[in-house]
Amino acid sequence: MSAFHSEYLVWHWPIAFYLFLAGVSAGAMFFAVLLKHLCVKEAPHLSGYIRAACLIAPVTVMAGLGILVTDLTKPLQFWKILLFYNPTSVMSVGVMILLVYTVLMFMWIALVMRPYIDEWSELHLPWLQHITAWLSRVEPTLTGILVILSLSLGAYTGFLLSALPGYPMLNNPVLPILFLLSGLSSGAASSLLGGVLLHGNPDSREVKFIHKIEIPLILVEIVVIFTFFMGLVLTGGQSKIAAMNALGFGFWGAVFWFGILVIGLSVPLAMNLFMTATAKRRWAYVAATASCSLLGVLMLRHFILYTGQLTIA
Amino acid sequence: MDNVRRQFIKGGTALVAATSLYLLHDAGAEDTPQGKVRYALLHDETKCIGCNACAEACRHTNQVPEGVARLRIERSGPYGEFPEQYYRFSRVSCQQCEQAPCVNVCPTGAAYIDDKTGIVSVNSWKCVGCQYCIAACPYHIRFINPLTHSADKCDFCKETNLRDGKQPACVEACPTGALMFGDLEDPHSNIVAALNTQPVYRTKEDLGTHPKLFRIRAKAGGITL
Repeated sequence: MSAFHSEYLVWHWPIAFYLFLAGVSAGAMFFAVLLKHLCVKEAPHLSGYIRAACLIAPVTVMAGLGILVTDLTKPLQFWKILLFYNPTSVMSVGVMILLVYTVLMFMWIALVMRPYIDEWSELHLPWLQHITAWLSRVEPTLTGILVILSLSLGAYTGFLLSALPGYPMLNNPVLPILFLLSGLSSGAASSLLGGVLLHGNPDSREVKFIHKIEIPLILVEIVVIFTFFMGLVLTGGQSKIAAMNALGFGFWGAVFWFGILVIGLSVPLAMNLFMTATAKRRWAYVAATASCSLLGVLMLRHFILYTGQLTIA
Repeated sequence: MDNVRRQFIKGGTALVAATSLYLLHDAGAEDTPQGKVRYALLHDETKCIGCNACAEACRHTNQVPEGVARLRIERSGPYGEFPEQYYRFSRVSCQQCEQAPCVNVCPTGAAYIDDKTGIVSVNSWKCVGCQYCIAACPYHIRFINPLTHSADKCDFCKETNLRDGKQPACVEACPTGALMFGDLEDPHSNIVAALNTQPVYRTKEDLGTHPKLFRIRAKAGGITL
């Protein structure tokens, strides 16, 4: 029995990547809205970080869904999942959320990029401007619902696993909160990484704004991880065994203690505090911090998925 | 700002109202339309000798491909001291839960409880193979059928023997009469009489699944801590 195989394993790494990518998309969209409304305000289409988020959010959600569809045993029949719904199924509700989210996401991105669209459509497709004008009229509604949907999407990735009664570690009420928070921080990290790669200024107000949110976010994440495992241990029985199996000294124990707690949480926290204290942010610092954060979240998804299926009720 | 807030509240309220209306569309309908028949199975572990005739009959009757199985007999032991040693046998198959996690999680409704028989069934056409049901089943008895690529499991021979008016294949094949199949809603059925007169147990009841596979515990015990 190796780290990636266990007796009761049903879902394997493609699902972990999907959970990761959906979280990144939700987080990137959430931070894009925050950046636009609370930080940049004027001319959001010129901010490298908002541009990055507007690129990352659709690419990750599409890639995630692509992985999900190819992982079906009947990939060509995925349309049935869009046609038939089951309100008691977290996956089915998630499909509804994803559908509306994707549409609203593109509408919101079109609004941010409106100056470019209007400039182009003036010459080629004049009627397109009616649509952008309409979008701008409904912008507050659109933005509000998009924020709610992005938070729902982040939490949904956790509910998807916590709806499984057969695995005590996954069937845990704290899991959706943990996945939501880590999804948000992966969205923030991917926007920062994408922003500096798209030649955003690493010492700009956007970076300061995101870092100011990221520090408490990481602290709360650590508390939530602690609560997650304390809850399992205090529940006793198979839940306690599940926690012990996950955190023990094997491969996944190393991933947790070194990969998630050190690389994924402690290093970004320390770097963020350091950058806030020294007040000078460099390209390499921002990029390295964001990469550590992203890697940590990716490891967390794999860790939870694989160790969660180690122990059964 | 005021306008913006008003617009968001207006739009948001409209969305919530629309969603609630949609969710109400079948509110008047019966919540769980129970049919007149609710099939259940009783496995008497004191009679089971672990011969696997049931598993073979199941494979043959339901055309289950090699490598997967709708029904297995799990042997544990030996318990006790030689020469008084014995094994215990327990049935591993769909427990026909009243509150089935597989049905709850299935995104397309391919996993459903049949209204007429109470049997947890699979609509192979609707199944897309997301394997959510396989992960959700606390009894780990679901599998992907390598021929149909759909989720598959025991359905009390609903599509084979029951349709022909016979008992499930495993019940017919059992040489010791360890399996009893019947309708829980029929007060005169053998299974109701058996359940009323003997202490039975079901597995993982604490998960709230309300399984309809009842078991009579093997006679001899054994210490496991």
